[in-house]
Amino acid sequence: MTRRNAGWITLFLLPTVALFLAIYAVPLGITLYTSLFDYRLFPSRMDFVGIGNYVQLFTRDTQFHRALLNNLVWILLHTTVHIAIGAILALILYKKPRGWKAVRVIYMVPSIISNAAVAMIFANIYNPAYGVLNSFLRGVGLGELQRNWLYDPATSFISVTMIWTLFSGYNTTLILSQALSLDDSVIEAAKVDGASRLQQDFLIVLPLVKPMIATTMIMAATYMLQMFDLIYLTTRGGPGVSTTNLPLMLYKTAMAENNYGYANTIGVVIIILGVVFMTLINRALRSRED
Amino acid sequence: MTQKTIDKRRDSGLRDTRPFIAKLPAYLYMLLCALVALFPILWVIMSSFKTNAQILSSAITLPTKISFEGYRMALQVSPILRYFFNSVLIALISTFLNVFLVSMAAYVFARTRFKLRGALFSILAMAMVIPMTALMQPVYQVITSLGISDSLPGLILVYMALNMPLTLLIMRATFAGVPKSLEEAAYIDGAGFMYTYLTVMLPVAKGGLASAAVLAFLNSWNEFTFALVLTKSANVRTLPLSLSYFTSQFSFNYTALFAAITMAVLPSILVFALFQEQVSQSLVVGAVKG
Repeated sequence: MTRRNAGWITLFLLPTVALFLAIYAVPLGITLYTSLFDYRLFPSRMDFVGIGNYVQLFTRDTQFHRALLNNLVWILLHTTVHIAIGAILALILYKKPRGWKAVRVIYMVPSIISNAAVAMIFANIYNPAYGVLNSFLRGVGLGELQRNWLYDPATSFISVTMIWTLFSGYNTTLILSQALSLDDSVIEAAKVDGASRLQQDFLIVLPLVKPMIATTMIMAATYMLQMFDLIYLTTRGGPGVSTTNLPLMLYKTAMAENNYGYANTIGVVIIILGVVFMTLINRALRSRED
Repeated sequence: MTQKTIDKRRDSGLRDTRPFIAKLPAYLYMLLCALVALFPILWVIMSSFKTNAQILSSAITLPTKISFEGYRMALQVSPILRYFFNSVLIALISTFLNVFLVSMAAYVFARTRFKLRGALFSILAMAMVIPMTALMQPVYQVITSLGISDSLPGLILVYMALNMPLTLLIMRATFAGVPKSLEEAAYIDGAGFMYTYLTVMLPVAKGGLASAAVLAFLNSWNEFTFALVLTKSANVRTLPLSLSYFTSQFSFNYTALFAAITMAVLPSILVFALFQEQVSQSLVVGAVKG
């Protein structure tokens, strides 16, 4: 590039760099820095505590232990069960059975509407007074199973989990797109060799779409690591802390208790977990392809 | 051989020729996925046409007569149209600014050489792995100190930043794929840097621009967490955020509650139905590039 373009290059970079500094770099710096302080608003203070916040979190804070456990369980379920549900549909649809296009579009609908709307819909489905779940149980003679699904400590976790586990439309769309782009000759060759339907699907197609599955798993892990809206709008993390995860706890600690230093310590844990999951999934599933 | 006959042969090679009974499990699974995706939304829409008494007496029965009373009451209690307008405004402006400004940086990274280019890009791409939810407190702090908390510009700025990494990656890959000869021809004709970018590069990058814009719009349109953290007043409330107030606003007026949820989700579903090919393709582009 010639010298006279230096001005243009700077100008073209400036907005993006400014945006990065303001909304990523500075907040990241604040998070890392204040995690070392007892930093709160009411009463206003900022005292250096070193790794005190981390020690408190990991050794004494039982709410954090539960939030971390919940978060990890949800990530595990989301990267396995949730992806599997969508991947199975993709393996069915790529052979273009009758109605495949319609099913692909319909299954995407819950993923396209806002999480806030999905949360409100499920809050109503689970409602003990008029919700369709209890109504259905009564209808089929299982009335004794009726309960306040979201607020009963025995069922709150599983009820919240169901809100996001079944809707795997993104994953179906992504895996399907890679399956459709595969060279059919591979599958036909397997067919000629007498591979059964399931063998074709699981031994030939599945390994070929593995890179996309790795991508969906990373997306699922980072998505579930940051899950906030669907929980906030249904249980607020309750009852007790049964459905609290790290973002919920961070939100409560920062916005309700104004305990910023401690909240940002949770933020650092979330960031570290994010990097760890990305690296792990990449190592496990992408190594041989690249 | 024409393309069409090739396609036909491909299809016949893949088509499932087994008897119907063998294909039954696949069809059942497809049906189940479609039902799981549609039932919650259809139940809400159906309930919005029932009276309160009907909703409470049975959740499953169809409405005896179609009543739009719920919609009238919902619009009376909650200024949904106002929230809708806020969301449209925020999503459109943040999407436009994000795609316009970040594309400029992406172009510079794809096509020019300057000192520290690789390092700067790596730093910006780092934003991709930072879970933004972890930064909610300091982002709130930054937005407040910029004097734009509880305002539309504050949300627009944050949404621009949220979508920055993905737009940057998509557009850099798009620009990198454009033949160099196009640019060189423009330079030989004496066109300047800016002129070449605007009249030669941007038009041929339409596909990438569309994908980046679709993703940025969807993310901004559905975003909840930062809308909750960064705004207080009802006059800047977005549609997803307004949903969190529905339960208390429509206390015991279930018809209006269901009508309000319906009004909040229908536009998304309609737009998706119209543009589903483009949306699905954008998701794939985003996943592959991201």
